[in-house]
Amino acid sequence: MSIVAGCDVGSLTSKAVIMKHNKIIGSFILRSKPRPRDSADAAVKGALDAAGLALEDITYCIGTGYGRDRMAFADHSVSEISCHGKGAKWLLPSARTVIDIGGQDCKAMKLDSDGQVERFNANDKCASGTGRFLEVMANVLGMDINELGPLSRKARSPITLASTCTVWAQADVIKYLNSGTPIEDIGAGVNTAMAKRVAILANTVKPEGDVLMTGGVAKNMGVVATLEKLLGLRIKKARRADPQMAGAIGAAVMAYEEITSRVLEN
Amino acid sequence: MQLFHDVANQIKCQPLIDWKALNRPVVGYTCSQVPAEIFHAAGILPIRMRGIETDGMDIGDAYYGPFICSFPKCLLQLVGKGAYKFIDGAVITPGCDAMRRLDECWRKAGEDYDGIIPGFFYYFDVPHKAEGHGMEWFVEEIEYLIAEIEDYFKVTITDENLRAAILEYNKGRRLLSEIESMRTSETPVVSGSDMFAATIAGTVMPRAQYNEELTQWMASLSQSPPMENVRKRIMLIGSITDDPDLIRLIETDTDAMVVAENLCFGVRSEGRPVDEDADPISALAEHYLGESTCPRMYGRYKQRLAVLKEKIEQSHVDGVIMQNIRFCDLHGAENALFEKDLEAEGIPCLRLEREYGPMIDKGRLKLRINAFLERLGRGRKYASSN
Ligand code: SF4
Repeated sequence: MSIVAGCDVGSLTSKAVIMKHNKIIGSFILRSKPRPRDSADAAVKGALDAAGLALEDITYCIGTGYGRDRMAFADHSVSEISCHGKGAKWLLPSARTVIDIGGQDCKAMKLDSDGQVERFNANDKCASGTGRFLEVMANVLGMDINELGPLSRKARSPITLASTCTVWAQADVIKYLNSGTPIEDIGAGVNTAMAKRVAILANTVKPEGDVLMTGGVAKNMGVVATLEKLLGLRIKKARRADPQMAGAIGAAVMAYEEITSRVLEN
Repeated sequence: MQLFHDVANQIKCQPLIDWKALNRPVVGYTCSQVPAEIFHAAGILPIRMRGIETDGMDIGDAYYGPFICSFPKCLLQLVGKGAYKFIDGAVITPGCDAMRRLDECWRKAGEDYDGIIPGFFYYFDVPHKAEGHGMEWFVEEIEYLIAEIEDYFKVTITDENLRAAILEYNKGRRLLSEIESMRTSETPVVSGSDMFAATIAGTVMPRAQYNEELTQWMASLSQSPPMENVRKRIMLIGSITDDPDLIRLIETDTDAMVVAENLCFGVRSEGRPVDEDADPISALAEHYLGESTCPRMYGRYKQRLAVLKEKIEQSHVDGVIMQNIRFCDLHGAENALFEKDLEAEGIPCLRLEREYGPMIDKGRLKLRINAFLERLGRGRKYASSN
């Protein structure tokens, strides 16, 4: 039976998944390279290796992400907004609202029962509320971005960042570090600033039903917990696969839908 | 058609150069509510000022500051750089507060940059209401403007040559609306970006030459086969747009076409003729103010919504893209109302905020536009492959 692929070249990371019968049989994630085409090639190669397959084995491939039109092997490209919707639906069939925090953008979407995006909003030209914000702050704190979530749980009195602007917030964080504020309190403050920014965006689509978070930041429990408080909603966890893969999964699901409908048509 | 694109894409276009070569005057104006016929009647070429080809913002930022619409800032930038030194006159209007301030900023910049204030520099007041007294006031403003032009350019503007100008302009309007109907039809023969380039060209070219070009274009269009692959019919509305690239962004690499728009550089005011039988000044006033198609006009929201709905229906629009330039309160606020009212009637809408100027926002805008088009494609399959 046909094997499909989805490849999502983002600004910070690139991901690819290989699917067979609507199941993931291989996936790969890497730090994006300067050229989108190289990132796409490496991501798909990694996913194919994981599945023990070669490029010729893929019947249909959809590309997404900012490098979506630069993939030599992709049969078609779809915007990451639609792909995240589809991917979220695959990760959690009951999802009706999706908050996706990617490397350089943040999106909130409302889905219909087919996982089609009914309404969306995305951040404008500003790094606050994106993965990049957390990355810059983690760098200043001298830690890995993945440590920010667990760290903030230990906080006793989180700091308040006066500005959500990445550049100004960075200066604030350095000031707190210099004045000896415990690092966990700073980390928690960073997560809260991020969550506040995302909550404003999420509220514009009027979240309802089951809410799912996708993108790398979904793995930061500090941000998720604050966001839940701010929105007054529970945020479901994607257990079926890594939520950071949602865009690539959605692309592969669309590729799968495309070839099945072709089979039905012929 | 190529001429329209050339004119739309550069300020110093050939028809303008040819006009100046004959030593004839040119006056730049800044708002769709300035009656171009008045200048035409005086033998002056009226050109709508545009901010295309801006490649920096040092001058614009210096006089305006950062938190303001980038359109008038681009105009000032170009003025400061000397790009508009060829105009003999400028007419500034209070389209919105940002545009009104162009008057002050330009004058102030004139103290620092030599020769950027044209000999005829005129502030043309346009009321925000078209009701009784507003209309009377506007008629008076037109009369003042005529008197000033007569005085400065040493010309006489009679009712007769005003009438002749109205006839000439109406000729273009009728041609444009005929071509427009070839675009809004179920099987369009003209793309949105071509149509838009043609309407922009109309704000710059000498009218007789423009009418001639339109006539030829229309003849060639009537032989053209319908455009292929038009599956999503889009309407574009909102803040000032004088760059066919924005429409091209929607139409390139997609199965969408901009079949209708409601933009101040577009066909919205060109599409209907000025009354040829009435007193010319009142007819011009009625045409340029009476329709209240711009959100700067007070108390006419319902009328503007009705205009949109009618266009949506006539042009079989599948979705509306509403854009506004950052800090444009007028369109920003009205787009929010339109979105609420149109979505309530089941018309999908996309709201975009952008910067005016060279298409720096391209990637960001394209992502949102594509996602919106995919939303409109619901029920269909995703791909016909590359
Ligand atoms: S786009 Fe808005 S703010 Fe800018 S000039 Fe036009 S009305 Fe004024």
